[in-house]
Amino acid sequence: MAQTRSGSNLIWNILSYAVLILLAVLSIGPLLWMLLTSFKVEDDIVTRTMVYLPTRFTLENYIKLWNQSGYPVLVINSLVTTTLTVAICLFTGTIASYAFSRFNFPGRTPLMLGYLVVRMFPAVLMIIPLFIVMRNLGLFDTSLGLAVAYTSFLLPLFVWMLKGFFDAAPTELESAARIDGSTRIGAMFRIVIPIARNGLVATCVFVAIAAWNEYLFALMLTSSTGSRTWPVGLQLMVGEFQLPWGMLAAGGIISIIPVIVLFALVQRVMVAGITAGAVKG
Amino acid sequence: MSRGRAMAALPPPRSTWDAINPLRLLGELSETRYWMYLLLLPSALLITAIVLFPTVYGFQLSFTEMRLNRPAGNGAFVGLKHYQRMLADPIFWLSLRNTAVWVTFSILIEFVVGLVAALALNRNLWGGKVLAVLILVPYFLPNVVAGNMWALMLDSRVGVINDILVNIGLLQEYKAWFADPNTAMATAIFVEAWHSFPFFTLLIMAGLKGIPTDLYKAADIDGAGAFAQLRLITLPMLRTIIAAAVILRVIGLVNSPDLLLILTQGGPGRSTQVLSLYAFQNAYSDFNFGYAGALSVVMFVLLMLFAWAYIRLSKVNQD
Repeated sequence: MAQTRSGSNLIWNILSYAVLILLAVLSIGPLLWMLLTSFKVEDDIVTRTMVYLPTRFTLENYIKLWNQSGYPVLVINSLVTTTLTVAICLFTGTIASYAFSRFNFPGRTPLMLGYLVVRMFPAVLMIIPLFIVMRNLGLFDTSLGLAVAYTSFLLPLFVWMLKGFFDAAPTELESAARIDGSTRIGAMFRIVIPIARNGLVATCVFVAIAAWNEYLFALMLTSSTGSRTWPVGLQLMVGEFQLPWGMLAAGGIISIIPVIVLFALVQRVMVAGITAGAVKG
Repeated sequence: MSRGRAMAALPPPRSTWDAINPLRLLGELSETRYWMYLLLLPSALLITAIVLFPTVYGFQLSFTEMRLNRPAGNGAFVGLKHYQRMLADPIFWLSLRNTAVWVTFSILIEFVVGLVAALALNRNLWGGKVLAVLILVPYFLPNVVAGNMWALMLDSRVGVINDILVNIGLLQEYKAWFADPNTAMATAIFVEAWHSFPFFTLLIMAGLKGIPTDLYKAADIDGAGAFAQLRLITLPMLRTIIAAAVILRVIGLVNSPDLLLILTQGGPGRSTQVLSLYAFQNAYSDFNFGYAGALSVVMFVLLMLFAWAYIRLSKVNQD
């Protein structure tokens, strides 16, 4: 009996490896192909017969994209918008999340549900009024306006995810500080937030990646190079200037480097936070 | 932990500066009964201003005439005009059907692949952690990059997928996947599923960790095979988490036209036209904000109905 079970275990292990390796190749393969394409000369990309490995390694695509297409401006705009988004979430979301995690008060459950339900609101339904409002307030086509628009879906996410990390932080140290005469706000900033700092960083990274990647709001709410972010700029180049594949691939690689690096740094904590937030929601 | 009153009363101010020291005042404020509401105030105000207000405004827009490119008559109340137009609009009905196809098949593939990946990862194999990270990567990639990457690989002239399929004999010649109305939707669904299946993997993996191993041991003794265990233990135990994941993904799929906007713009013909894309194009290209608003309102109501019905059906609320 034991033997057959270990035998079937082996079969399942082999099957699992097969599935996982296949999925990993499917997940990473396209990225590698894009990386390879970005190092190819145009003659190796547009060919009669497929050239898999570049015959001549070149950085030309990167240099051309960086110097001739205004890409640096797009990247800087994205950096500004992303930083503003994270800052707004950090200042307003951290304290809200702390309140939900540590206090029991009338209206807590409906408020928390409210923060969850707003995620269901269609982007398109909000984008149109936001466009009109932003134009009237002079925030249309500004990085600040775009960042504020991003918080409409990222702030609730931030609060829910961070609440999970605050919930996981033990309350004993906080109690001890309170007994020693610390105020609530003192205990929050000196004890709880430092304990939950890994979670705080992971939550910020998650929001930063989402803001960095966002396309639809940016397409609607920006109109010039003053605030246009890289996803909109890159897509415009594809549509209007028939951007060569090599440069497009280079743009893709440049743009996802920060995402990959940040993801690699905090993936373990971030993954725990995403699942906790979604499971409890 | 007692959260009621201050445990130690603060000493009275010792000097004029102490009396107006903002840190001290904040500290005192934090001991009042309304502290938690003050903590919530900034985010609640922000959400009211940028979510609730625009949503209400959006509902209102759907009953008004609002065309930015035709200023005359803007803001006039037109009652149900946009909704009547919608009922008679064949593109609306087509978009509705396409949305159903887009959502159903994307979810199905994402769920099955996500579940299989999670089950395989849950065996804690050697190297599993690295494979897990690799499998999760697509989920964090921007739509613009994911879309264009696949557009490159599926291109009718330079696409490597075409080359591979021709080489292994599955395809006679290179195919323009997104230019053929018969394959455009299926190909877009494939790209979408590739992009988002890790979400199911993530959530199901978290759920699997919560299932007591005793259940499987007992099932082993009773002689239940792997598939019986999956059907009788794993899936029922994951019911809540699967329901949550499905709802979140349906919301995401219905609401965001991003990937289709990048890959097909609804074409060829209108074979990949979905509701969110139709609404967005009405606003972005035609500046017909009233009609776009009405389309989004219908989308919103349908989503709410779906979420309500789905939660009722899967009885999540009993847990």
